[in-house]
Amino acid sequence: MRLWPRAARLRHPWAAALLLLAGSALLGLFTGGVHLSLPDLWSGAGPGGQTARLIASLRAPRVALAAVVGAALSLSGAAMQALLKNPLADPFLLGTSGGAAAGAALAALAGLSPLLSPGAAFLGAVASSLAVAALARRGGRLDLQRLLLAGLIANAFFSAVLLAVFSVASSAAARAMLFWMMGSLADASLGRVAALVPYAAAGAAVLAFHAARLNLLAVGEENAAALGVDTEGSKRTVFLAASMLTGAAVSFAGIIGFVGLLVPHAVRAAAGNDQRRLLPLSAVSGAALLVAADALARSAFAPAELPIGAVTAAVGAPLFAWMLLREP
Amino acid sequence: MSPDPGATPLLEARGLSAGYGRTEALRGLDAEVKAGEIVGILGENGSGKSTLLKVVARILAPTSGEIRLDGVPLASLPRRTTARRIAYVPQSVDLVFPIRALDLVLQGRAPHARGFSADSAEDRERALAAMRACDVEDLAERDASALSGGETRRVFLARAIAQEAEIWLLDEPTAGLDPRHRLEFLAVLRRSHRERRGTVLLVTHEVDLAAELADRVLLLRRGRAIAAGPSATSLTPENLRRTFGVEFGVRDSRFFQVEGLSDRQSLDT
Repeated sequence: MRLWPRAARLRHPWAAALLLLAGSALLGLFTGGVHLSLPDLWSGAGPGGQTARLIASLRAPRVALAAVVGAALSLSGAAMQALLKNPLADPFLLGTSGGAAAGAALAALAGLSPLLSPGAAFLGAVASSLAVAALARRGGRLDLQRLLLAGLIANAFFSAVLLAVFSVASSAAARAMLFWMMGSLADASLGRVAALVPYAAAGAAVLAFHAARLNLLAVGEENAAALGVDTEGSKRTVFLAASMLTGAAVSFAGIIGFVGLLVPHAVRAAAGNDQRRLLPLSAVSGAALLVAADALARSAFAPAELPIGAVTAAVGAPLFAWMLLREP
Repeated sequence: MSPDPGATPLLEARGLSAGYGRTEALRGLDAEVKAGEIVGILGENGSGKSTLLKVVARILAPTSGEIRLDGVPLASLPRRTTARRIAYVPQSVDLVFPIRALDLVLQGRAPHARGFSADSAEDRERALAAMRACDVEDLAERDASALSGGETRRVFLARAIAQEAEIWLLDEPTAGLDPRHRLEFLAVLRRSHRERRGTVLLVTHEVDLAAELADRVLLLRRGRAIAAGPSATSLTPENLRRTFGVEFGVRDSRFFQVEGLSDRQSLDT
């Protein structure tokens, strides 16, 4: 199975990724319900300038949250793909997001404060990961085929939980939950960004430490074992780190699909599959993609706001289909 | 079995059992290999040959018994340490992601690498030199999944050289190769072994190949050793009959198979 376009190797992938991030950050600051002009923002003088600064300071946390969430989702997807030796793998496929959503839905049903819902989502994500890992375990080993099947089972189960919660929740609560499940960065604040960053940084650090081992695992488990990798330990650590990244992202921004699947694919096509480059490049590109997608979500039908999960799916699904079709 | 009982063998299997799930492929195997030998491992399908290589490569953990390297149990050594000394050359790999042949060879440097750094210039040099030694240097930039079977095996042999391992484990290196690719592979193998004087464990179904290439042979049946010793004395029609369940003859020092199967019952008693 080959799902990446060939021949598109970039000479300077780092420059391209950083330019994309800078461009999308500017887009994120300037677009939205109210349009800003650069001279106003730059001078900061007069009522126009003050308004501009105020709006930018409101948008900045949102841009930052989108960047961290996008980076976390992309890192998680890239690591899962190498670990499972499957270009279609992504933490959403493995039930992590379903667990997170179910956790949040149950918390809402129990009447817990909405402030607690990110915490409940994170717990749900971790619980789902552990359950999937336990299901995938066979004879003391983490079986990769079973891992994918276990993810499928978990997703089926969690969607049943969600449907059940929906049908008994009040209509106001159900609407709020729906918006959260479709993904949203509307609650962004610097405090939330600061709360997310430690999780994202810890997960990223663990994956960076495992990048070279993931290169060997991406060729095959036997390959990695014969070259001195403790495959069981590495698989477990990478799986938990990737789950933590997804759980954290979902709990702060809801379910946002396609980022973890699409970004590593695009980066792989542009810069190859060496995880030591693929992981950091995916983080930067994922940040850029989600910041741009959020700008689009805010401005496409302003003042109404699209759920960002709908935007990433609307952009991601055709792109993914195009990648599929390009391969002979 | 060993003519010099005082010397510690480089590799030894003691009461080695291993398998997959409930299927036992090796059942209490005892065997030893001395440094610098080419050992041919022969046996019918399911006799435990490939399993033995996987246990030595630490891909598979034994269910009981152990492998010793220089008299030290393999399991007590760090994995990276043994990976610097033992290289596994698979028949093929199922590549899902694109990877250049050079990068595949560079993976042989992984047990020597430190930290997260990219491959050093020295690693690259070693990898390219190893590819040169195996006549695959011109394939360095090619996508490894697009290589032929013979090219792939030579690339993996180059990786074993880049790994600087003194023990090579070759799993049916000539299986499925056409005559030309087979000869090319064997020429490269002979040459690189002559230059490096390493120890080779070679799993094969080809009796003549073992007779020609191996200093010693290990004949396996149902996870146990049927015979072990110098190829010249151990590869007898009788031993081969007990190994493969087929009657063998010898003509002009080549083995040939006699029509008809041996009585299996008599073999398993």
